[in-house]
Amino acid sequence: MGYGRSDSYRVATTQDKDDRSPKKKKGAKDMDDLKKEVPITEHKMSIEEVCRKYQTDIVQGLTNAKAAEYLIRDGPNALTPPPTTPEWVKFCRQLFGGFSVLLWTGAILCFLAYAIQAATEDDPAGDNVSIVLTAVVVITGCFSYFQEAKSSKIMESFKNMVPQQALVIREGEKVQINAEEVVGGDLVEVKGGDRIPADIRVVSAHGCKVDNSSLTGESEPQSRSPDCTHDNPLETRNIAFFSTNCVEGTARGIVICTGDNTVMGRIATLTSGLETGKTPIAKEIEHFIHIITGVAVFLGLTFFILAIVLGYSWLEAVIFLIGIIVANVPEGLLATVTVCLTLTAKRMAKKNCLVKNLEAVETLGSTSTICSDKTGTLTQNRMTVAHMWFDNQIHEADTTEDQSGASFDKSSITWISLARVAALCNRAQFKAGQDQLPILKRDVAGDASESALLKCIELSCGSVRAMRDRNKKVAEIPFNSTNKYQLSVHETEDLNDNRYLLVMKGAPERVLECCSTILVQGKEQPLDEELKEAFQNAYMELGGLGERVLGFCHVLLPEDQYPKGFAFDTDDVNFQTKDLCFVGLMSMIDPPRAAVPDAVGKCRSAGIKVIMVTGDHPITAKAIAKGVGIISEGNETVEDIAARLNIPVSQVNPRDAKACVCHGTDLKDLSQDQMDDILRNHTEIVFARTSPQQKLIIVEGCQRLGAIVAVTGDGVNDSPALKKADIGVAMGISGSDVSKQAADMILLDDNFASIVTGVEEGRLIFDNLKKSIAYTLTSNIPEITPFLLFIIVNIPLPLGTITILCIDLGTDMVPAISLAYEAAESDIMKRQPRNPFRDKLVNERLISIAYGQIVIVCLNPHALGGFFAYFVILAENGFLPTTLVGIRLNWDDRSCNDLEDTYGQQWTYEQRKIVEFTCHTAFFVSIVVVQWADVIICKTRRNSVFQQGMRNKILIFGLFEETALAAFLSYCPGMDVALRMYPLKPSWWFCAFPYSFLIFVYDEVRKLLIRRNPGGWVERETYY
Amino acid sequence: MQANKDSDGGWRTFVWNSEKKEFLGRTGSSWLKIFLFYVIFYGCLAGIFIGTIQALLLTLSNYKPTYQDRVAPPGLSHTPRSEKSEIAFSLSDASSYKKYTDAMTKFLKKYDDDKQTDQMKFEDCGGKCQLMPERFLKCRDTVSSTPLPGRGFHTREAWLIVKLNRIVNFSEGGRPPMNNSVEEFLLPKLKPNLIPIFCKNKREEDADKIGEIKFFGLGEGFPLQYYPYYGKLLHPQYLQPLVAIQFNNLTLNEELRIECKVFGENIGYSEKDRYQGRFDVKFNIAS
Repeated sequence: MGYGRSDSYRVATTQDKDDRSPKKKKGAKDMDDLKKEVPITEHKMSIEEVCRKYQTDIVQGLTNAKAAEYLIRDGPNALTPPPTTPEWVKFCRQLFGGFSVLLWTGAILCFLAYAIQAATEDDPAGDNVSIVLTAVVVITGCFSYFQEAKSSKIMESFKNMVPQQALVIREGEKVQINAEEVVGGDLVEVKGGDRIPADIRVVSAHGCKVDNSSLTGESEPQSRSPDCTHDNPLETRNIAFFSTNCVEGTARGIVICTGDNTVMGRIATLTSGLETGKTPIAKEIEHFIHIITGVAVFLGLTFFILAIVLGYSWLEAVIFLIGIIVANVPEGLLATVTVCLTLTAKRMAKKNCLVKNLEAVETLGSTSTICSDKTGTLTQNRMTVAHMWFDNQIHEADTTEDQSGASFDKSSITWISLARVAALCNRAQFKAGQDQLPILKRDVAGDASESALLKCIELSCGSVRAMRDRNKKVAEIPFNSTNKYQLSVHETEDLNDNRYLLVMKGAPERVLECCSTILVQGKEQPLDEELKEAFQNAYMELGGLGERVLGFCHVLLPEDQYPKGFAFDTDDVNFQTKDLCFVGLMSMIDPPRAAVPDAVGKCRSAGIKVIMVTGDHPITAKAIAKGVGIISEGNETVEDIAARLNIPVSQVNPRDAKACVCHGTDLKDLSQDQMDDILRNHTEIVFARTSPQQKLIIVEGCQRLGAIVAVTGDGVNDSPALKKADIGVAMGISGSDVSKQAADMILLDDNFASIVTGVEEGRLIFDNLKKSIAYTLTSNIPEITPFLLFIIVNIPLPLGTITILCIDLGTDMVPAISLAYEAAESDIMKRQPRNPFRDKLVNERLISIAYGQIVIVCLNPHALGGFFAYFVILAENGFLPTTLVGIRLNWDDRSCNDLEDTYGQQWTYEQRKIVEFTCHTAFFVSIVVVQWADVIICKTRRNSVFQQGMRNKILIFGLFEETALAAFLSYCPGMDVALRMYPLKPSWWFCAFPYSFLIFVYDEVRKLLIRRNPGGWVERETYY
Repeated sequence: MQANKDSDGGWRTFVWNSEKKEFLGRTGSSWLKIFLFYVIFYGCLAGIFIGTIQALLLTLSNYKPTYQDRVAPPGLSHTPRSEKSEIAFSLSDASSYKKYTDAMTKFLKKYDDDKQTDQMKFEDCGGKCQLMPERFLKCRDTVSSTPLPGRGFHTREAWLIVKLNRIVNFSEGGRPPMNNSVEEFLLPKLKPNLIPIFCKNKREEDADKIGEIKFFGLGEGFPLQYYPYYGKLLHPQYLQPLVAIQFNNLTLNEELRIECKVFGENIGYSEKDRYQGRFDVKFNIAS
């Protein structure tokens, strides 16, 4: 080790604060700086050096003048809030994003055309298309905006993290100032319960402990002292960090960093400065919009030019252009997608996954790698006694959350003694007023291991409090780091027995040193070499499981030396602490959650790689990884192989090992290629002792390999990785506000298993969105064909712009949304995650199916059904199909009021227009009728409807709703004025029935072929 | 630049990949298969579509359309047609009204004597056509008794030839209106077996500007004996009666709106359809 043990440290020295200009440099280089380790060196300086550096005084503090000067130089001690987009910009983005631009163009062109018409004629056609288009854009825009606003206003929390007040010493006087005014060099005092106002170098401390969990993820409070204990500023004891909490004791220190320069500030800046890529679904939708826009503009312009060439006036050509654009754009689709995602988000919220960003719903489904935090996510986040060693045997304790696990023999006398020692030599106690709660759920005052012991004993031996009452405590030596044990002296239960009971627990090797005998089967035996070796083996084995092991011993003090009333002096120990009787070992671990192994297994079968990234020690991490199946049974790490073959680690071919436990310090020295190598070649990876920056590097590494990465985390230290990940998952209970803010999703129950539910929902919604889009597109394409025929064959227009909007935004919406409720066709958790490069939401096959049919003569069942209805109505009114071809010019001529039909009847302009609009209505109704079949078809992509069943109630409702809406639009009085839709004769409703049936039969046959012949030609060409 | 080249290359290989012999991402046999598929697919669809259209045609009558609720009551149309419901010309500029006189001449060609003399065609159609010769005679009379159209245009006379639109099997009046809905000015014109037509100024203030309006035809209206019309198949040479309207003394250099209306029991008017049973036209004659 040493001063320059890594690059980042060398960088750190050159980056000393004084060299840095107060103004922050922006740009990519800055970002890279932030990703490096923290450039704090003050912990290695002596206090005097630090004082000199900041021109402050250890007693008097800064002078007011100096403080003011520094305040001006460094700015206030507050985090720069992340840049927020103003609301109106967000709103405009919704208004002008996506298809909106296309529709706005349409609306403006429409309006211009109308204005020109109005200017040249005194009686322009009552064309309200532009109003309708504008309304459509504005309404869908508002809808999306409110959806987004609702999901994004969840939290704003960085502000809350800045402590309100700070106690500083300036010119020798203690003053309470606003924490924002604290400057570098200030001498500050903190006490238990305070938030640390800035990064401080501790100069003196009294029993000071800080909770760094929000920064490092370590849950144990850590003591602070003036000594430098570690090179790494994050691990050294003499620095306390901005916005962490002082749990107990007091400390005095010199401020070394303020505001954005603090460790926390750097993480915050790093987090907010990270550019998060677009979510996969956003990319998919963008891809889709590009295709549609391209086709729309291409077709529109082609026909615009064609129309001009064919001799139409440019005004007419513009109207064609609008018609084609409107027909091409699935106006309702984006709203449908939003609603589908919202519905899924709601469903996920019920399963404890709160989704902040709607698009994240699907991202989770396409996730191929999950980088999971250990503590709290995979584990229960509470120490629990896992094993015990007594009677020369290892016993397994029940670690499950519901106490359903195996139990051990509790009748042994040794166990009773062990339980007594564990209960008595223990300062933890239950907080009052929770007697009704199950023992495991109760809150405990005391440190984690003692709580674990307390709960374990309470569970197996009944009330610890009663036991302590029976054995009154006489004296106690609390745990300290030099002794590494804790002991206490108690009266015995037996009132006739006046001896004192001495109980001790501590580091096993220390406890063993104090012992000369050992309790086996209730009998004291001398501690011989054989038993010592047994002890060693047990200790090693339990330690190897990553568990924290404690040794226990006791002795009954002889009554002659220590009579009743003996004054035990704990400072100057005046009693026996040697020749005790060893009772046993107990080992504790933060056990995995019950549902996690199953969930990890599910992830694996779903093709998702689960990587554990933790700040914990490698041994513990590996033990938990094995426990939950992240390292599956039978898979070995390089170290395991080396141990098995008894060869040095360097001789093992890393390719032989599927599993890998990677230490954070190793990670620092790895190049990008080596990193990629690790990620690519090991299927089961555990990263231990990782820093926030390293988490980020791991995430980036996975992304570089093309994975879609989900990251779980709860601390501030996780937030950069959460932000960088394709989907960041924060913990609802234990998570810090910052991590929640950086995340896209919050697990309300902190349970890894909930992620799996999320993945399932995400995959389902992707499949169902495909169905929705297929459904919408297949009705969208036939909307173009009427225009094409109108222009080319010169028939009266079969389908108007308003009617198209009625389909896209009216009848199609509910059925398309109802497809989001469709159940999965097969076990979606048994297949690989989708490949974002190949498996698109809208692939070329869907497009070619949809558009392929307009290229060739505009034949597809929807259009045919509509055209049939159109021809039926015109024929029954007197215009046979043969008469229609080429009639358009006269048909649309307002001055021609005696147009002859096939029977020789003469029609005024208005009369034939009513027939034309009736045709539009019929075309519309026909599309609705064919959409009945279509929605049933789109329910499944592979299975037959008869296999899938019609259990989707929303879909059935959708069918009725669309029919009722169509009937309403056709028959409601006033619709002829408002939308130019006219009542249909009942028989006209049935025109499209044969086509509806036809499309259904065709698709059932197609799916049958796909099922019969997997991977065959039909699947390759038509499966979307 | 580099990226550009790459994408260019990608595009070119997409069009023709010589390695895999792929054109636009498909091999020849793949194209053939998909082509065959679509040929069969569209063949079937087209077949079914034609089949249903044939079935539709079978249900239709040759003589009478299935529904007539949209075409009736009949429209009232005039020749020459107005452009944006305006007839505007200048007395001094012959070319400005030439299109109107041409339109009328062309329209009246069908009513020419020589075309109506081909008796054979008309007497072939059995009992229903008994009135034919007489009808055409009267038509010709109508035409010959009116001053030649166009002749008047340069002398402040504007002409419109008006007809009631044909509707198969539709009896336009049944009988002329007798009820009190008829306005007083119409009473002198009421005759049995005649659908009267009347024109007047649309705006009150134009009342003394439109001058005299004369109606020429078979008695200032449409005689009922020419109805009903039995359709193209039964009445291939049917010509409907006409009324020629002469506006004698329209005020010059002013926009005048005139509304013409027919009256009869089965004649109806619509707010939206300005040619149903009536029409209005704007005259704008410059000196």
